[in-house]
Amino acid sequence: MNTTTDRTGLLSRQVAGIGALTLAVCAVILVLGWRTGHPGALATIVAGVAVLGGAAVLAARTAVRQGRARAQAEQREREARANGDRLLMVIDNTSAVIYIRDVDGRYLLVNRQYEQLFNITRDDLVGLTDYDLFPGPVADVFRANDLRAMAQKTPSVMEETAPHPDGPHTYITVKYPITGRDGRPYAVCGISTDITDRKRAEEQVRRLNSELERRVRERTAELEASTRELDAFAYSVSHDLRAPLRALNGFSQVLLEDYGGDIAPTGQDYLRRIRGATDRMGVLIDDLLELSRATRAELHRQPVDLGSLAGKVVGELLQVDPDRQVEVIIHEGLTCMGDPDLLMLVMQNLLSNAYKFTSKREDARIEVGSVENAPNATFYVRDNGAGFDMVYADKLFDPFQRLHSASDFSGSGVGLAIVARVIARHGGRIWAESEPDRGATFYFTVSPEREERP
Amino acid sequence: MRSRAGPIVLVEPNPDDVILTMRALAEDDGGEVVVLSDGESLLSRLLPRDGSAPLEPAIILMDVHLPTISGPAVLARIRADERTRRLPVVMLSTSCEEHDVAESYRLGADKVVCKPVAYNDFARLVQALSAYWLDLDAARPTPEGMS
Repeated sequence: MNTTTDRTGLLSRQVAGIGALTLAVCAVILVLGWRTGHPGALATIVAGVAVLGGAAVLAARTAVRQGRARAQAEQREREARANGDRLLMVIDNTSAVIYIRDVDGRYLLVNRQYEQLFNITRDDLVGLTDYDLFPGPVADVFRANDLRAMAQKTPSVMEETAPHPDGPHTYITVKYPITGRDGRPYAVCGISTDITDRKRAEEQVRRLNSELERRVRERTAELEASTRELDAFAYSVSHDLRAPLRALNGFSQVLLEDYGGDIAPTGQDYLRRIRGATDRMGVLIDDLLELSRATRAELHRQPVDLGSLAGKVVGELLQVDPDRQVEVIIHEGLTCMGDPDLLMLVMQNLLSNAYKFTSKREDARIEVGSVENAPNATFYVRDNGAGFDMVYADKLFDPFQRLHSASDFSGSGVGLAIVARVIARHGGRIWAESEPDRGATFYFTVSPEREERP
Repeated sequence: MRSRAGPIVLVEPNPDDVILTMRALAEDDGGEVVVLSDGESLLSRLLPRDGSAPLEPAIILMDVHLPTISGPAVLARIRADERTRRLPVVMLSTSCEEHDVAESYRLGADKVVCKPVAYNDFARLVQALSAYWLDLDAARPTPEGMS
């Protein structure tokens, strides 16, 4: 900057000097001409000198202008070079592979990443094409991609694969045309990012997924097979066990009725015990089948009013035992999305338990409602009956677990297991709170959508 | 009072059940009961090929579980023949399997009942069935249109 100013200043001073000198020479000649009495000749000389001086001034001005233009050009070139250096630094310090190839596929520029990756310097690369570097089919693909990108106005994104010592690498590549002043593309620039690791991870995920799918298929088949076995088992339990049970029950009854007179009272008592045992076993088989059905039956969700289910159950219970006094409170708005048949099993079992365990109270009270302000719809069945010790709360929902003796309260111990399975299949939760002789409350939730197999 | 002619036909392979069923029926009335142990003998009696007189039951009580031809298959054959199409058939199931019950009704059973384990319940059921089909249902036309 300073140099330019100095040089321009020097030139203008020189020009000013030449002008002043010319004026001074003209003035001297004119004065001499006046004094010597030859003004004409002198005037000619003055004119000549003036012309010479003017020409010199003009020449000097032109020289100044040219000097200034040259300086500006040099300046621009320096700036351009600095810009280029900066850009090269940017492209050399990225992890992406960057390259520019001309319309014929010859390399114009590559970044350092490219040099390192393919072990070649940019100077050696200039003028080569991909056919000099890669196997024909690979170069074909690159070339085709180049041509396609050059025909587009906007950047094209594509996936490319290049061979490497450790196997093929996959790149996600952005290519866009570089256009000259005439707007025509003269080269294509490519920026390729190595996504091999991601690609391999994806491949791994795909492999694991298909492996998982295969395993799920196998397990499903096994599960279906065991469900079929379970079906067959339930079927044979219900048929093969019931038939002999009916005979036991029937013949002990017939013996009592037809030959009772021939049998001593103790013998008659034994026969009655056989019959009682077969009755209980019959109930047990029915409950087992119910439990199996609660597990196997398909779930058909629809809006269910638990209050109206409870009302039906209570009606049946009161009908069986019309002498009992029970205060029943069923709150409004006990709706949920669930399978009405399966939820009926829930209400049947919870309410018949409540009914059973309040049988020894004069002021029996059963309440069906929902917990207000609970995050998920939570329903409950509450009684003021015999209750149980919370120490055993975790055993409550296991099949055949009984917390009361059969002489106090009859039952097979399957009812709450059925309830727990139905609730689990509705994606819900069931729990109980109780104290001996102070009643029990069974809470449960019903998730609106998913089904979870126990 | 027996309004409908013909015997009660019991198709029951289990000898225990035969005795218990017979006793339950005997408590009631003591009308004629024909006992068969499988479906083939029932079909050959209902639709004889040797020219003998066909069996004309007032009602058929048939177990779902029969050896060789199953109860529902026998029922289908009965319903398929014009001569036996209208016979009252009650299917008895020990398992009460939903599938058995549904299939029997689909094939045209007049009634499907589960055999209760408790004998008293079973006896009451058998008596109610015979009373219903022999007396209350007597207006049903017989196969040949005769009473």
